Amino acid sequence: MNVSLWQGIKRMFCKEFVLGLRFKAAWAAMFMFALTTLACVSLALQGGQMEPRLAAALLWVIVFFASMAGADRGFADEDTAGTLLILKLYGGAQPVLLGKMLYSFFLLLVLAVFIVLLFLVLIGVEPVFWGVFILTLVFGVAGIAAAGTLLAALATGARVKNGLFSVLMLPVILPVFLPAVYLTAGALGGSDTALNYLGGMALYDGLLIVGASVLFDYLWYED
Amino acid sequence: MVKINFRAVEQRFYGRQIFGPLDCTLSGGRIMAVTGKNGSGKSTFLKLAGHLLPPSQGKITVVSDGRELRGEELRRHLAMVTPEMRFYDRLTARENMDFLLGMRGITLDNAVYGELLGRVGLDEQAVCHSYAGDFSTGMKQRLKMAVLLAARADIWLLDEPGANLDEAGRQMTAREVRAAADKGVLVVLATNEPGEEALADERIALAGH
Repeated sequence: MNVSLWQGIKRMFCKEFVLGLRFKAAWAAMFMFALTTLACVSLALQGGQMEPRLAAALLWVIVFFASMAGADRGFADEDTAGTLLILKLYGGAQPVLLGKMLYSFFLLLVLAVFIVLLFLVLIGVEPVFWGVFILTLVFGVAGIAAAGTLLAALATGARVKNGLFSVLMLPVILPVFLPAVYLTAGALGGSDTALNYLGGMALYDGLLIVGASVLFDYLWYED
Repeated sequence: MVKINFRAVEQRFYGRQIFGPLDCTLSGGRIMAVTGKNGSGKSTFLKLAGHLLPPSQGKITVVSDGRELRGEELRRHLAMVTPEMRFYDRLTARENMDFLLGMRGITLDNAVYGELLGRVGLDEQAVCHSYAGDFSTGMKQRLKMAVLLAARADIWLLDEPGANLDEAGRQMTAREVRAAADKGVLVVLATNEPGEEALADERIALAGH
């Protein structure tokens, strides 16, 4: 009767995916934010060129805030719909956390691809180092997904919810955000990029996932 | 055989004493009715029994075959029916059951699924194309019973299980509760319904404060 961790994660991911397709609010909020922001910046630039560091910062600001429009919904939606109790009863802590994290990563990756494609077309920049650019995007999105899922769980358990997620998110995500901007600027401008930053981002992502995994048991089980 | 021990348990919310200090032992194979007026803490008692809420004071232990159950292991022994429990509105009955039971490693084939729906009085054809969110409250209550029966748990925490059910539904609930207790399941029944109280082997009356 024991379910393997991977089977549990897969079930959780599939449930999130099916519900996401049937109730598209999170997808719509994130994609509309990205589209609106990019359209505004593109119109303001009127064909002018943007300096790589500014373009990199703008790209990550759009990715970060677009993800904020949907990334904290994982547990908040369960809480609002009243399904948190039944999920707690039948779902183990680790499959629930990691399944939601994996779905958040998938959702943000699709969002990031959408944003990057529009960004490259509308802002008129093109990466010189595609490999660094793509890896930075993957590690950055993984960090946002890991931190977002854990903090969403923490915020759902807290009595005071208003603004808690955003307040907690900023310091936790800065170690991902700052090297991501730096590496993206390097990849766009063709300047030297400190590739050890990539290793640092991957390490921090790993720490976030392990930390979330350890902490989540205490949130999920009241004893 | 599973047992739940309450030792000097008190519960307070925002400084208001709900009940306690309370000492009692609930045993497998017995039906314990928890009664009391609204706000006396019946639903809270169930959550405390399942470690879904920590007590303000005192200790609650769940023991199976001499071993204390905690965390994930304890959850695997639990099944619950309560008005607070909701299904995923945008999943069908089958999808809800497959997901929830699948998270415990239980897979339902078509025959078992059909048999479960029959036992709780849900028409398979009527529910197969509808989302759970479109069910009537009575149908949702029957679906909760179906999940409870399929979960193979040996602790049942039931909060007004007959609520929103017609006479046939209440009879089905009474029949399943009695049958489960006869098989050794520990049943805790929070209720004020005389019919449900009559099922119980023991009774705790919460006075409220």
